[in-house]
Amino acid sequence: MTECAKAKVDSDTIVEILDQKKGRMRACLDACAACSLCAESCLLYREKNNDPQYMPSYKVINTLGRLYRKRGRVSREELEQMQQLLWSNCVLCGRCYCPFGIDIPNMIAFARSILRSQGIYGVFPHTSGSPEAECKEIDATGN
Amino acid sequence: MYDFVRGPLFWASAIICIAGLIYRSVKLLRLTQKKEIVLCPVTISPKDKPAPAISAEERKLDRIARFQNSVIGQHPVMVAVSTVFHVCLFASPLLLLAHNVMLSSAIGIRLPAIPDGLADLMTIFVLAGAFFFLIRRIAVPKVAAISSAYDYGVLFLTLMPFLTGFLAYHQLFHYKSVLTLHILTGDILLIALPFTKIGHMVFFFFSRLHIAGEYCLGRGSRTWNT
Amino acid sequence: MVIAEIKPLEEIKELVKGYKKILNTGCGGCTSVCLAGGQKEVDTLNTKLTLSFQADHVPFEIDGFTVERQCEVQFITEFDRLVKSRKYDAILSMACGAGVQFLAERYPETPVFPAVNSTFVGVNKDIGWYEERCKCCGDCVLGFTGGICPVSMCAKGLFNGPCGGPQGESCEVSKDIPCAWVAIYKRLKGQNRLESIRTIHAPRQWRDQIQGRIILEPYKARYVKSE
Repeated sequence: MTECAKAKVDSDTIVEILDQKKGRMRACLDACAACSLCAESCLLYREKNNDPQYMPSYKVINTLGRLYRKRGRVSREELEQMQQLLWSNCVLCGRCYCPFGIDIPNMIAFARSILRSQGIYGVFPHTSGSPEAECKEIDATGN
Repeated sequence: MYDFVRGPLFWASAIICIAGLIYRSVKLLRLTQKKEIVLCPVTISPKDKPAPAISAEERKLDRIARFQNSVIGQHPVMVAVSTVFHVCLFASPLLLLAHNVMLSSAIGIRLPAIPDGLADLMTIFVLAGAFFFLIRRIAVPKVAAISSAYDYGVLFLTLMPFLTGFLAYHQLFHYKSVLTLHILTGDILLIALPFTKIGHMVFFFFSRLHIAGEYCLGRGSRTWNT
Repeated sequence: MVIAEIKPLEEIKELVKGYKKILNTGCGGCTSVCLAGGQKEVDTLNTKLTLSFQADHVPFEIDGFTVERQCEVQFITEFDRLVKSRKYDAILSMACGAGVQFLAERYPETPVFPAVNSTFVGVNKDIGWYEERCKCCGDCVLGFTGGICPVSMCAKGLFNGPCGGPQGESCEVSKDIPCAWVAIYKRLKGQNRLESIRTIHAPRQWRDQIQGRIILEPYKARYVKSE
């Protein structure tokens, strides 16, 4: 585990960032009727055999929604789960459909900025280690 | 109890509902601002090829493709049920003769009334729609994945006035009790309306119709405040 | 990001005609963001091609699949099982030229056709309005020119000040095109950094280049004054 990963979660900073866009984000989160009509607009949802964990609403509710609900008082494990949803489960292609016009990409980007404030960044599977380790991995898999 | 729910509680809930909707609307409006649509200079760079002439045939294909891949084309049943549900949800309480008679005697104004048979049918549509949503929420994995007690609670809250109204009108079970329950659940729904996710109707108006974006149904003349 | 524009339907049809079973591949990267080659565009194009070939009574089958982006091996491997199992005659790609070529390299026995034209590296000014900003010249001088690129924004790609042609603050090519060097001068003056452009930089090969701009047809009414 890196030094960053071991660090305590700074809930005050999270709340400070959450408050910057509280009005807009809370309005969007409250308006979500959980209709799931956003699902098919996500290329990853369709690519991964309609796995609900890739649904735009699922991603937002379980990241930004959770951060607002818990007022930033989340554990590092929870943040790492959110990291998975925000980076592995989303490419920010920006094409999420919502019948109410909720701007989902903006919410994903905002949640990412909150995680970055806690030293948690994007995950890209092939950049897990040092350049040497990465080269070994590439040679082994051919990718 | 009956006098309380149809008297002071009703007035309180109506006022809370209207005030709440105004509050939500103003709050949303203040979170947005007029969007400065910057015009592009008319002389577009020579690199721009003139748009190729699109044949009528291709325009037709375009229309069909857009429709087929829209939410209506992809989820026709859900859209149809939701549309009928929402129309009947609004129309039946607002245009019910009984409601308008009471409104007229209370404040002297009323809306046009529809025949009771039609209102009855609309109520059945609302209940059927609510039942469809309930089954969908339980049985469809992508909906179940984001559903919580709150979602089921709001659905239950919404259908109760319609169910009890239907039972009262048809004088099933103990009339006075069912009627009291109808008014009580109606009052609760009115109070909850602006402050729960049922407020999505206000959000829809501001966001989908006005905020610029790919799916905007209007001119895109507003944007969120920076 | 790379800005692309979808090819006319007739041109795409001409490319794929004669092939009976096609895989149309979308890209969740740049071409998705500029509304040219994302999942929605794949679905729409598939419907149009299917209906068009049906009207011509030509047997035609097309599937669609969109991945994160087509410029990275780990993502295009997602196509492998489909290509192997469904044995397509040809592949259509709605990614930029880089993605098309990557697919063509990966499946050398299968013809790969582009469905979009990659036009430039640029920015998203607003929905449906994209402007070129970078020519990928490989030797970025933005640090000296106050963040205004003389290669993409100057019609002549001059590196050391304007030509003799500016009409006021406009390029001699058109009064609607600002002179990049006037803009650079103003920006650097505002930052008190005029010294940057007092140093003479070695010239590049002169090329006639005017900033590219695309405004999608559905959005023309929004951004272009009607005359």
